[in-house]
Amino acid sequence: MKIDRSLPARKYKLYATWKRDMETMKLPFPREWSHTNFNLPPNWKEIALKKMDEVVNKFRSVKLFLDICVKCGACTDKCPFFLGTLDPNNMPVARQDLFRSVYKRYFTLTGKIFRGFVGAEELTEETVELWYTYFYQCSQCRRCSVFCPYGIDTAEIMIAAREVLTAIGLSPRSLTEAIAKCETIGNHMGIPPAALLSAIQFAEEEIKEETGIDIKVPINKKGAEILYVPPSADFFGGPHWGTLKGALKMFHQIGLDYTISTYASEGGNFGTWLGYEHMKKINRKLVEEAKRLGVKWILGGECGHMWRVIHAFMDTMNGPLDFLEEPVSPITGTKFEHAASTKMVHICEFTADLIKHQKLKLNPDANNQYIVTYHDSCNPARVMGLIEEPRYILKNVCRNYVELDPNVNREKTICCCAGGGLLADETIELRLKAVRPKIEAIKRAGANFLACICAIDKAAFTEYFEHYKLPITVGGVHELVGNALVFD
Amino acid sequence: MDPLIFLVGYITPYIAFFTLIFGLIYRVARWLSIPVPFRFPVAPAPITYTGVLKRMSLEFFAFRSLLKGNKKLWIGGYVFHVALAITLVSHIINVYFHDLWSIIGYGWYEAVLYSGIFFLAALAFLFVRRIVLPNVRYISKVSDYIILILLISIVFLGVYMRSFGLVDMASVSSYMYSLLTFNPIPPPENLWFLTHFVLAQALFIYIPFSKVSHLIGWILSTTRNMRNITRWRRHVNPWDYPVEVITWDEYYHKFKDELEAIGPGGERR
Repeated sequence: MKIDRSLPARKYKLYATWKRDMETMKLPFPREWSHTNFNLPPNWKEIALKKMDEVVNKFRSVKLFLDICVKCGACTDKCPFFLGTLDPNNMPVARQDLFRSVYKRYFTLTGKIFRGFVGAEELTEETVELWYTYFYQCSQCRRCSVFCPYGIDTAEIMIAAREVLTAIGLSPRSLTEAIAKCETIGNHMGIPPAALLSAIQFAEEEIKEETGIDIKVPINKKGAEILYVPPSADFFGGPHWGTLKGALKMFHQIGLDYTISTYASEGGNFGTWLGYEHMKKINRKLVEEAKRLGVKWILGGECGHMWRVIHAFMDTMNGPLDFLEEPVSPITGTKFEHAASTKMVHICEFTADLIKHQKLKLNPDANNQYIVTYHDSCNPARVMGLIEEPRYILKNVCRNYVELDPNVNREKTICCCAGGGLLADETIELRLKAVRPKIEAIKRAGANFLACICAIDKAAFTEYFEHYKLPITVGGVHELVGNALVFD
Repeated sequence: MDPLIFLVGYITPYIAFFTLIFGLIYRVARWLSIPVPFRFPVAPAPITYTGVLKRMSLEFFAFRSLLKGNKKLWIGGYVFHVALAITLVSHIINVYFHDLWSIIGYGWYEAVLYSGIFFLAALAFLFVRRIVLPNVRYISKVSDYIILILLISIVFLGVYMRSFGLVDMASVSSYMYSLLTFNPIPPPENLWFLTHFVLAQALFIYIPFSKVSHLIGWILSTTRNMRNITRWRRHVNPWDYPVEVITWDEYYHKFKDELEAIGPGGERR
């Protein structure tokens, strides 16, 4: 595998957090700084090392992964950011090594004694610059971990490493702008209640025009059976719009007693990519709202990293969720036993169950203009293992379904390369390079509709297809469900 | 007796042996002392313990993940580890259960020598690969080469001295047996054997302080050994701490007019 030692990806840096957002979020060292001038606090090194000591003693996986990597190189050609740029620091092991070398120097006996011989390096301002650059060129998609003989997961090391960066006052605007909005307004997009209402009303009008049916979407309705939480992008329009409408139409057809919330109008969780505290904060609102509204359980929309948090972290951080009930589909009576503790069900699980029990009136011919393929988002595929349900739904709502190349599909999927905080204008060049293998696979499959279950996928792929001038529509699985629903 | 031979024949073998044992115990204890805050396996992951056992067994016996990712490296790594296992087992038989060969058959005793040749070939492959492939060279540190050179030297000496009958196996075996029963007899003063032995001691000491600790560490890998049941059974994080969020009341206050426009109390039914 060729590498480019000139480090061509070093120039891609996310822009700095605004001072006002640092203040809102109570981040350490609120100050004016930029991606080229960090303006680090005077005792940054001491803080960084202290935080590093803390994180390696908080996450067994992180310490273990830092210790046992044998540098076999199996992961080196698995990261899309490396494949796209050939920058050696984007090889998962080299990305980890930026952190590992400092860990070795200050926290291991051999590193303290033998230094460079075992790859131990001093922590310098240059290291910090490399950290900020390359730790934010990882979308935490976990593809490398699939191929690692020990399952070493770069994502977990990055979670810890970003805690260290945050502690010395370094975080990217692409995350913090959204987090600050979410924590103060209710969602990443900064949609206040009035705008959310208009979005809903607009969706209702469009559905009326398209199908002739009248629907009224409940908002903040106390005592509803189910709280529906989509990513806020769904209220915003664009490639997400069809997903929202599809879900609303489906709820109407089955007569679901549900509500959406303005306070917990964000399923997504950009805090995930910054650190524990903000991840927990954003997720906490879902729990508080479910309690306030008195719902029985929560249904989650199509969103990737949102489901990383819900599936793997929510119950741990904000549980036990005793005030909710074990989810049961009111339509089919199916008990979602796998969600017995977290009490949150993925909309694909819910819909697949409806289809299985033939509770939806569907006409797959309604999607005949499309040759549909499915993009496995990193989080549903590699965190949840949600691989079959979306495919099952798609095969029932459209006639022309094609699979992608197995090398970039299912658990081996190449992600949209825009997760992890990379969905920002300043990284578009990098992302276009990284996502190339996936785009090629989609082209080879001959699809003209890319179905995905992640808001970031939808935003990112729309951008990519425009750039590559490909006539491919991006939309949600539930957009196609919505198209296929028959109302008489 | 030469003081140097006394040292490497009586003293350092014990230092090496106990460093390996207690070093690894310390290593594992240290890993185990750190909490696992989340249940975060890499999916698709099993939901039963049997499933986990199957997944881990496939990793152990077939290097399944590596096979998925890099076939050439898989062959090199697999041959290396199998040859290593054969070598270790035959060393134990030689020293402890010498009579076993008459049951297994002396043909196998001879065959072990050939596994040594595969052992060397695999190590040479791994070494050359580390130098030749630019991506692997980039991630290699001096210690990554040294460990391979150390292994190559040990295996080469072992294969060489046995193939050409440069060492009396019986006296080596009795010496090793005497060491392991803490009743050491003088070591065979054979330069081939002593060099082989000293290098092996160096390896023993090196293992717990280095990446070679993966020999136990892999079992603790949380992305592989956990069940994918987080929504079914709650996982507790021992260092969890409370956070403050904007409450509904604060939120309602902030957006009172907008919420009332949606409906009384912000409700739309």
